[in-house]
Amino acid sequence: MRRTGNATALAVAFFFSAAAFAADPNLCAACHGENGNSANPAVPSLAQQPAQFIATSLFMFREGNRKDDQMTPMAKPLKNPEMNELAAYFSKQKAAAPSHKSKPESVEAGAGLAKKYNCSQCHGPRMLGQQHIPRIAGQQYEYLRTQLRAFKAQTRADIDGNMTAAIQAVPVQDLETLADYLAGLGGE
Amino acid sequence: MKTLIAVAVTAALALPAQAQQTPAPSWQQGKPAAQSESTLHPFAPHMTGRSAKDLPVSSLKVPAGFKVEVWAEGIPEARSMALGDKGTLFVSNRNAKNVYAVLSSGGKREVKTVLTGQDSPNGIVFRKGTLYVAERGKITRYDGIEGKLDSPGPGKVVIENLDPHRAAGHFWKYLAMGPDGKLYFNIGAPGNIVLPSYMEASIMRVDPNKGTLETVAIGVRNSVGMDFDPKTKDLWFTNHARDWLGDDSPNDTLHRVAAKSPVPHFGYPFCHQGNTLDPEYGKNRSCGEFAKPSQLLGTHIAPLGMKFYNGKMFPAEYQGNIFIAMHGSWNRTVKQGYNVMRVKVDENGKASKPMPFLTGFMTDEKADPPMWGRPVDILVMRDGSMLVSDDYNGIIYRVSYAAPAGKKK
Repeated sequence: MRRTGNATALAVAFFFSAAAFAADPNLCAACHGENGNSANPAVPSLAQQPAQFIATSLFMFREGNRKDDQMTPMAKPLKNPEMNELAAYFSKQKAAAPSHKSKPESVEAGAGLAKKYNCSQCHGPRMLGQQHIPRIAGQQYEYLRTQLRAFKAQTRADIDGNMTAAIQAVPVQDLETLADYLAGLGGE
Repeated sequence: MKTLIAVAVTAALALPAQAQQTPAPSWQQGKPAAQSESTLHPFAPHMTGRSAKDLPVSSLKVPAGFKVEVWAEGIPEARSMALGDKGTLFVSNRNAKNVYAVLSSGGKREVKTVLTGQDSPNGIVFRKGTLYVAERGKITRYDGIEGKLDSPGPGKVVIENLDPHRAAGHFWKYLAMGPDGKLYFNIGAPGNIVLPSYMEASIMRVDPNKGTLETVAIGVRNSVGMDFDPKTKDLWFTNHARDWLGDDSPNDTLHRVAAKSPVPHFGYPFCHQGNTLDPEYGKNRSCGEFAKPSQLLGTHIAPLGMKFYNGKMFPAEYQGNIFIAMHGSWNRTVKQGYNVMRVKVDENGKASKPMPFLTGFMTDEKADPPMWGRPVDILVMRDGSMLVSDDYNGIIYRVSYAAPAGKKK
């Protein structure tokens, strides 16, 4: 399985270098990991994220809605078509199995909370994301915690305000359970 | 075990906080328990835009004799449109923060970003050399902007403090210039179905020279399109009805406020579509106390920009029609809209049922998403052709008409 993934990545990388795009996915891989599968708990995985979500995130970094010391300068020079190319590339990479192991008690509780707080209404029944809404199954643990807390504090922009509004009903201790549950959730 | 106890203790401590439930997000507010597992969700535009060559533009349909083509692309989240005296097309954003100018020369179009850092600048209108921009909280005028597109300056504020609470809700604005020289705009409801406070759920107008604010209509949940009948000077506007009462109720509506009319109350949040009491707010009320809409447009169909057609290009049948951009439903299991429809208005001010005009954006009424494009606003060009903006892709389409050879239109 893993070998197939690498072979595809190599082929795609070759295609990209041959076409010499200004937006080079290899630059992203330095932090986001090979094929967009992050090995750093604080950095999100991009593999198999919906393309519209990736493009929207890059857009928000460039426009200043989202701010991050690393990402803001990376997004600054990118034009919209380049953002679309990067988004298409990473959306087609295969997501690796999650490295995070959820606490046993978080698994059942997390599934219940995901239902209770309507997470699946937008993120989908298996949390794989769709359209402008991210895949959160198997996303990096520290990254999920930071984002959830920031949404709660209303300091993390989302394009239509729906996530900021949805999370206001969720107490902080439930955010912890959700992050632990989601980070260990396999996609397939 | 220790963790379990810790969880139990924190949960117990948190009980009072949970008892006073934080309100649901504005778009989910009013959702009944029976629909708690609904997978319906609002759609968001492709903020970086999509290229027309990657889209099934050839599947767009217009009546015989009409033609639809891509007029301009690369205008991220193209929302409202306004035409300058010198032919500049201004285009606004709702989620993004810019106002763009589209310049035409020799059949080519150049897109320029003219205003940045705006707070949801959805409403734009142009009159006598001035571009007016309505953000959430204020309306600003940019005099002589077509002569200084590269440095339009900060503009002059016409009115501010239109959004004092800075909370979620339907507070982006549509902007129209009335025949009385006043700027007309909406202030929507703060949530799906809630009791609006002072100035909310209304249509207001402001004199751009004096800054005096007046109420035009109340009980309007959210209007994102309005225009004036060139013959009668009556104000017509579209309105979005509440969500979560099922696929087939209530209808989004088209309304008329006669010139010099007293301020009508159109029923929100008590009565919807002129004849349906709200299950919560409508208790002990009667629809008889409220003004009625002029036409029902379809449930969750999301009517946005609307314009009377008085151009010299379309055939007689289309003269004086109201063209309405239907952004399309999300709160409906079987989707509808995602098209431009037209409504005929007779000499007594009666509106016909809506008829499809530009269709083909919706590909599968049961898919998620069901469409590849979403019409937002309509603008009639000086040659009588019609522009339609699409915020989902950042594209503007042009609809034109050519009478068949040997036949007069």
